[in-house]
Amino acid sequence: MPQHEPSALLHTVEIIHWIALGIMGVVYSIRVWWLLRFRATRDRQAPGNPERTNARKGALYSLANVAMPWAMESTRRKPLFYATFVLFHLGVVAGISLAFLSSLAPDLVASPAYAALSGALLAVAFVVAVGRIVRRLTTPYLRLISSPDDYFSVIMLTFWFALGVLAQLYLAGVVQGEGFLVAFLIATSFFLIYVPFSKISHYLYYPFTRYWLGRTLGHRGSMPSVRA
Amino acid sequence: MSSDSRSYKAQVLAELLSRKLTRPLVASLVSCVHCGMCHTACHYALADPEDPRMTPSFKGDQLRKIFKRNHDWTGSVAPWWVGAKTPITDEDLEALKEIAFGTCTNCRRCTFNCPMGVDTAAINRTMRGLLTAVGVMPEGVRVVSKDQWEIGNQMGVLKEDYLETLEWLSEELVAEVGDPAAAIPIDKQGAKVVYAINPREVKYDPRTITNAALIFYAAGEDWTMASDWWDQTNFGLFSGDDQLGGSAGRRLFERVAELGAEKLVISECGHGFRSTRCEAQNWAGVDVPFVMESAVVTMINYIKEGRIKVDRSKNAIPVTYHDSCNLARSCGITEEPRELLRLVVSDFREMTPNRQENFCCTGGGGAMSMSEYTPRRLKSAVIKAKQIADTGAKIVATSCHNCVDGLSDLIKYYKLGCQVKQLVDLTAEGLVLEECAVRRTPPKVVSVPEPLPQVAPAPRPALPLAGRTVLVVDDEEDARTFIATVLEDAGARIVYAADGDEAIAVARRERPDLITLDLSMPGKDGVEAFTELRHDPEIASTPVCIVTGHPEFRKVIYDRPVAPPEGYMDKPVEGEALVKNVRRILETAHAAA
Repeated sequence: MPQHEPSALLHTVEIIHWIALGIMGVVYSIRVWWLLRFRATRDRQAPGNPERTNARKGALYSLANVAMPWAMESTRRKPLFYATFVLFHLGVVAGISLAFLSSLAPDLVASPAYAALSGALLAVAFVVAVGRIVRRLTTPYLRLISSPDDYFSVIMLTFWFALGVLAQLYLAGVVQGEGFLVAFLIATSFFLIYVPFSKISHYLYYPFTRYWLGRTLGHRGSMPSVRA
Repeated sequence: MSSDSRSYKAQVLAELLSRKLTRPLVASLVSCVHCGMCHTACHYALADPEDPRMTPSFKGDQLRKIFKRNHDWTGSVAPWWVGAKTPITDEDLEALKEIAFGTCTNCRRCTFNCPMGVDTAAINRTMRGLLTAVGVMPEGVRVVSKDQWEIGNQMGVLKEDYLETLEWLSEELVAEVGDPAAAIPIDKQGAKVVYAINPREVKYDPRTITNAALIFYAAGEDWTMASDWWDQTNFGLFSGDDQLGGSAGRRLFERVAELGAEKLVISECGHGFRSTRCEAQNWAGVDVPFVMESAVVTMINYIKEGRIKVDRSKNAIPVTYHDSCNLARSCGITEEPRELLRLVVSDFREMTPNRQENFCCTGGGGAMSMSEYTPRRLKSAVIKAKQIADTGAKIVATSCHNCVDGLSDLIKYYKLGCQVKQLVDLTAEGLVLEECAVRRTPPKVVSVPEPLPQVAPAPRPALPLAGRTVLVVDDEEDARTFIATVLEDAGARIVYAADGDEAIAVARRERPDLITLDLSMPGKDGVEAFTELRHDPEIASTPVCIVTGHPEFRKVIYDRPVAPPEGYMDKPVEGEALVKNVRRILETAHAAA
């Protein structure tokens, strides 16, 4: 792929990109340390429903909740919303993968199969993200609870998905212009540095929140939930 | 935000938050992505879709904003960017009170529907606790909390009224079954089971006590009720006051242990069961040497073990079951009530949704004691009303006293034509006494009834206030002498003051363990003296028990921009109650220190 010989600019951007990853790693480590500095809780009471569940089962169920749309009424009754959630986050995975593999495994990301899958995921995620912006802007209760960070985060990701699609097309040789890849990597670097300070850091907290909730409710006997 | 510009209460609230932060709470505070999935989980939001403030994450955001402003990096540096905000004025606190107490029953349905696992109910309870700590709470919550602190039960039932009620219930039951062994035992030392109840049963629904007593009698159980600290409910759960929660729980646990019981059976009450079984040990930081069990489980076991016999055909009217939020979502009790109902009624119909997905009765979270929010509560009850109507049942069974009140209210409001019953009622109504253990077994194995009221002999305790110094402040000599004599008899050393200025001087000089403070006094009155005491760093932490004949001052004292008094009693004061309150305050203060 001769058009993908990295220019000095692209090379610099790639270095910045890796530095940003390092910064994110450091900040996230501090975040975890910060969270664990708060007081731990302890359940003194005897377990409830020990024949059916326990703290461990509750925690595992809670952690796996994300992959069980049937488990919660909110996702069971809104399959389309759940599907868009899955597609949106698969788009994030595709974008992050693309950003790092573009320098680590350029041949792989240029392959037709990879390019088709990655490009499709990013494109669908872009559409979903646009839908999320519209939803947040038009739903009164979402407007009420949304902060500038909420809007900025989803708009930033929307642009990032769009740049990802273009970068993927460039890497696959479909379109010309190294600028797409450069812009995508710069956006990724910003993304990596910004997310620990924004709502997007939720994925760092997710395992902790879910684990503690599941452990508590599992010990009490109310998780996993029983359904009729 | 300069802390100087905040009102005193707002500043204290922000400071108190630091002490309440735990890992799970912080995780819930930082994990919300404002996706709005909780909106359709909340009965307030569903019943009032035009009001975006009913969305659970908006309610959780009230504390989240304060947390971010004071504890989060981005919120500290750029609060506007992440919506971080801290209350500044007392009006801000009143607005928070409206949301935390008036738009959420802490039912936890949103928690179970949050993809991130954010426990908004726990967040809201923490918000309530902070507001309560600075004296900003609905009047009903204040009154009920006071009763639980000072009288020992949340409805202010006096010991003599409680014992009299049990006595006539006992007499009625004995007459009904024609056997003196059916009498309700009180303080029976060494009984296997202690049965703890909700004060609502004494005050408004004594048939549930009779029915439980009948079942214990029929099963040949070796059981008793306690003459004091018998309340299994706990307003600390609703007010967010962990100190009250721990204190109320500890009293009950100690009483059960004193009686030497193997098991504490908790009557049907959702929040009471949750508080006693699942929370109070953690609030109080104690372990207990006995088993705790819901009365529902006890009744199932009696049937399974053949100790009682029920005839389902006696309960032929269609019955549906309403899951109490606290039992289903916070304690995992979903199948036991259904198992029991299938044994005691012949036409059981499921409500939809049910179990952990059931909707709140709308009376939870202490809502029944906050009359100012009744219109909103009844509006939100349309969801529950539809659920009930869809079953076609004529009886709504539930295992919770709050639910009984909440459901009865909405059934009347929406004209559903149903009645609400507890499982103990249905079980008692289905009993076939002739085939129960008590009639199959020779009388000698049945527990011999204790005469009523029976107080077990106990070793004479050391004087409860021995080694304590109490400053008694009252301008009326008679009142001062009475209080001093009662406390002296309980072992306390007494110092006196007759007005506010003298009180402050004596407090600085003598450093008492506690101050009883009259409010209406010539010169510097009790309110001013109290405020000054609280501002003096050397004596600010001295516990104060207000003793006043002017209840109208109550609000004034709690509204002062200082930590509220540790106790409050209306004149005329009864000696035993005074000693109990003083002792309770001193023990709580000691535990907190």
